[in-house]
This record gives sequence, structure tokens and C-alpha cells, in this order.
Amino acid sequence: MALHIVNRSPYRSSALRDCLNTMAEGDALLLIEDGVYAASASAQAGAMPAGTYCLGADADARGVSVSDAIARIDDARWVALCVEHTPVVSWF
Amino acid sequence: MKFSLVVYSAPHAGEAAASALRFARAVVDQGHELYRVFFYADGVHHGSALAAPPQDEQDLLTPWQELRQANDVDLVVCIAAAQRRGVLSHSEAERLERPAANLADGFELGGLGQLADATAQSDRVVTFGGQ
Amino acid sequence: MSTHTLALCRQAPYGSALAREGLEAVLAAAAMDQAPDVLFLGDGVFQLTADQAPQEIGQKSLYRNLQALPMFGVERIYVCRQSLADRGISTESIAVPGIEVELVTDPGALLARYQHVLSF
Repeated sequence: MALHIVNRSPYRSSALRDCLNTMAEGDALLLIEDGVYAASASAQAGAMPAGTYCLGADADARGVSVSDAIARIDDARWVALCVEHTPVVSWF
Repeated sequence: MKFSLVVYSAPHAGEAAASALRFARAVVDQGHELYRVFFYADGVHHGSALAAPPQDEQDLLTPWQELRQANDVDLVVCIAAAQRRGVLSHSEAERLERPAANLADGFELGGLGQLADATAQSDRVVTFGGQ
Repeated sequence: MSTHTLALCRQAPYGSALAREGLEAVLAAAAMDQAPDVLFLGDGVFQLTADQAPQEIGQKSLYRNLQALPMFGVERIYVCRQSLADRGISTESIAVPGIEVELVTDPGALLARYQHVLSF
């Protein structure tokens, strides 16, 4: 199963949309940098799939309150997600 | 597990450069091997020794050099992308008749073959892009 | 990079240097007999349109780099069918001489075949 990493705001870029259109059942999604705006509890970007994670440091930096449905993770867990999944696919 | 990173973003242009550094540190901290970081496209600016950010802003040069020192990580700057953008070793500056060289200690210029080799040698390759 | 690697090309030509540098990375790997497979998706499909004439904006034709792919042993590219449809590009208009275009309806299933995906 793949890990997809999205670092762009869903309101500015097609990165998240392209990623969601490509994701297979069971793939994981990690939102980092401006990608975390899609993880906000008040996001209008639509529901994220099961298995969505968000870098806590990037959310905190932006004052984004992460939706309960999305797992906040740290850098160590980020590395672990990469170990657990293959391939790792970046969308920017 | 053996990791390599590919970095397309220039330091101080966006967050991706800082993300790559954080991830690289986390890889090493978790006990994995960081085999190579390949700086490509605008990422080649990482190899400039001349960046002088203000004291209260993040240094995105020394930490990479320290990672290399402590963990023997290859820091490869793509030579073709670097020539275009003016990141030159002494020998390249001489060969191309440019007035100065700026490739930082710890970084080496290399061809795209080093990227192909990194994918062949590594269990995981993670790319960092976007401005 | 070889066939356990997929190059995922998502940038339109000329507006982003990464479109050109992505193709250069593919060509360089192919020249060393380590050609990755290549998937054009999203705005990356704009790289495949004919009639590119970037001389007046001071750039070299990226389409010419594409035409070089078969010389280095890349004789098939994957193209996302939905990305073409979203942009009103007909499948007939993206022919590259010497290259077989394989339209992909499920890019997620394609990605799953590879150990590494290099995004460009």
C-alpha cells in the first residue's frame, strides 16, 4: 500500500485532488505544510479518506485545528509511515 | 531501512526545504540509514556556501553538513541543474570561466546517474518539492 | 532507475522547470539502461500536446525531449485518461512518434506496482 504526501493547500493547487483521484483502497494520506489546511475541522475541501494523517507541527504552525477523523502525527511517526508503506508518492 | 531523499526546493523559498531537513533528521534518529540526498532543480541552491540568512532565521546549510559528518550521508548536487543556477565547484568555475566558486563543504556535484543509483540502492525514496 | 521506479510527471511544460528537468532525469537514467516507467498525469499531460513552439518565450521545445525517449529505449508511456478528458485533450492528439501511449484509467493500481515513485 502506498503513502501519499500532499504539501499544497487544497484551495490553491490540484495536488490533493490529483492525489485523491489516484489513491487506491488501503493507501494512506499524509498532509504536510500547506496541505494541512485540508485537515482542518472546518475545511471545505471535503471529507478525507480513512487512513489520513496530518503533521502536527505544520498544523500548529498555522493555527489549524485538526479534525477528529484525522490522526495528528510527529516526525518520528512520519518516518514510520514511510517504512510501513511502499511506494511513497509526493504531490506538490 | 535505507532511505534516500530528493529535494527540488530552494532553501528559504518555501517550507519544503525545512521539511526535508526535519525528515532527514527523523530518519537518522529512528535508526535508519540515510544513504543519499539528491538536490535537483531549485534544490541545488542548498549547495551554495554564500547564503547568509539573518541570525534569527533558520540555517539550512550547517545542519546538512553536520548530518553528513555524523552519518556519512551523501549530499549530491545535480551538476547540470547547478550549472544553470550558478552553484559551482572550483574546478567547474574554472572550466566554465566563471569568476567565483560557491559549492559548500560537504556537498559534491554529481550527475543524474547518482539519482538513478539512489533509487536502485534505497528501500525508500522520498521527494520534497514545491516552492 | 529501472522498471521498479515510476516517474510521475505532473507539471505543464514551460511554466515549471521541473517538467524539463523531470524528462532530463528520465532520459539520463534511460541512457544508463535504467529507464523508469513514466506516467503523465494532471497538467503533465500538456507536455504531450503537439504544435509546441516555445521559441518566442526563449525556451527549447520540450516535445523534442519526448521524441528522444525511444532512442534511449523508452518506447511506452502511461497517460492518465481522466486527466486528458478533464482538459479536453483528445487521445489522438497526443501521439509521440515511436512511443506507444497506454491510457490508464486506474492510476492508483499502476502506482502500486512500483517500489519507488519519483514525482516531477
